[in-house]
Amino acid sequence: MRLQFILSEIWIGLRRNLSMAISVVLVTMVSMYLLGLGLLAQRQADTFKGYWYDRVQVTIFMCTEDSGEPACDKKAVTEEQKNAIKAQLDQMRPLVKNVYYESEQQAYDRFQKQFRNSPLAGNVRVGDIPQNFRVQLSDPTKYEVIVSSFEGAPGVGAVQDQKKVLDKFFKGINYITIFSFVLAALMVLCAVLLMATTIRQAAFSRRRETGIMKLVGASNFTIRFPFMMETLLSSLLGAAAATGLLWATANYGFNRYLNQLILDQAFIGVSDVWAITPWMVVGVAVLSIGTSWVTLWRYLRV
Amino acid sequence: MIRFENVTKVYPRSSRPALHDINLEVNRGEFVFVVGQSGSGKSTLLRLALREEQATRGTVLVAGHELGRLPHRKVPRLRREIGTVFQDFRLLPNKTVYQNVAFALQVLGRSGHAIRQVVPETLEMVGLQGKEKRLPHELSGGEQQRVAIARAFVNKPAILLADEPTGNLDPTTSLEIVRLLDRINRTGTTIVMATHDDDIVNQLRKRVVELDNGEVIRDENQGVYGAAR
Repeated sequence: MRLQFILSEIWIGLRRNLSMAISVVLVTMVSMYLLGLGLLAQRQADTFKGYWYDRVQVTIFMCTEDSGEPACDKKAVTEEQKNAIKAQLDQMRPLVKNVYYESEQQAYDRFQKQFRNSPLAGNVRVGDIPQNFRVQLSDPTKYEVIVSSFEGAPGVGAVQDQKKVLDKFFKGINYITIFSFVLAALMVLCAVLLMATTIRQAAFSRRRETGIMKLVGASNFTIRFPFMMETLLSSLLGAAAATGLLWATANYGFNRYLNQLILDQAFIGVSDVWAITPWMVVGVAVLSIGTSWVTLWRYLRV
Repeated sequence: MIRFENVTKVYPRSSRPALHDINLEVNRGEFVFVVGQSGSGKSTLLRLALREEQATRGTVLVAGHELGRLPHRKVPRLRREIGTVFQDFRLLPNKTVYQNVAFALQVLGRSGHAIRQVVPETLEMVGLQGKEKRLPHELSGGEQQRVAIARAFVNKPAILLADEPTGNLDPTTSLEIVRLLDRINRTGTTIVMATHDDDIVNQLRKRVVELDNGEVIRDENQGVYGAAR
């Protein structure tokens, strides 16, 4: 009976205050969506790091006859020079984990494959990308050692560290993450203030009922519980909607579009959305219960 | 049942005390009229007993609780032992007569079975049988006050406080309402009724406590309204 009564009170309350309830749903949805995007961006950065740091390589490009680098002196690398570089790299183990040699044809093939959807692919001919050694390091942060050892060495055109390029990219992702967290924090603040206002308004519009409840000796719990549940329900609905939006973003944005366009494995997917969902739901629940508790304590005293 | 010992109440931002050094004892099963002009302290007396206000000085004892020491969370328990009726009825306009009375039990978590049994009994006692499905605005003032009394009494409180319950009613209806309170009093419920309806006080010949400027100036059994003047 009691449960049924309380449920009916909650239902009546939500219906009577429908526009406010909807606004709580929407504001919670937007704030949780932004927060979720921030969290997903963070996970994306981690996924990228995991993906790329495994593959990160220092590439030592050999000289070609067309090389612009002064060290090459317009002469292509000789077999002896190549062997000397290879031998020197072998001496640098265990810092050097793996060395792959890539011929001009192989470099061309890889490029064609990587950029098969891009108009760039058509403009590149065999020989445009020099033959090179791709060096994988056991500790990617120590790329300087390789750079200093091989830059300017006979037959070496250029030494390129991918990590440097990637770090710029990760910095970019980090800024996006911070930005979305700041936006999310502002929206969460909005949501909290709106919840508090909604409760105050609901408490005011139902002051007759709550007044009678107090008079006949209803417990604080009975008086406050419906207000709390209304807020909780609205905000959880908002969190559910936000999860739906994040799922759509991950599924249609990342899975279907980006993964096919660029690379597989390097992007987050729907499973990442499910991983952050429990945190968002718990966060929303704590936030709405906390907000309503404080607001009710202030505005609905016995 | 209710005891005021040297009770003084000063409202914030007011220099004059609303009640000044009041001593009053109401025994179990008594019917007491509290009379006096507006601003004499009648309502304050009832609000203190309900613990809607706290005494500035002195001790208030109600149904075995010392209200000055009653923790906040136990106030609801106190109020379950007190029924309250007001001049303005305070009914829920969108609930029927039956629902208004049942509401008082529902918020206390009573079972549906108990509610279905007690509410009709109480409505019959106050003379509202057959009007269970009416909404408050479809009732006369006297009937609305009966609903309020039914709601106050449905939980069988030990004490019933009535603050000017006949203030909005014509003399005949007022008398009916007080007769109803008298009937409730005979079931053993202690009744304290604040009023300035002299007719009623004179007809019922109950104990009369007169307040003036926050002080008890008269307390007599089987009193009349204006005996002191």
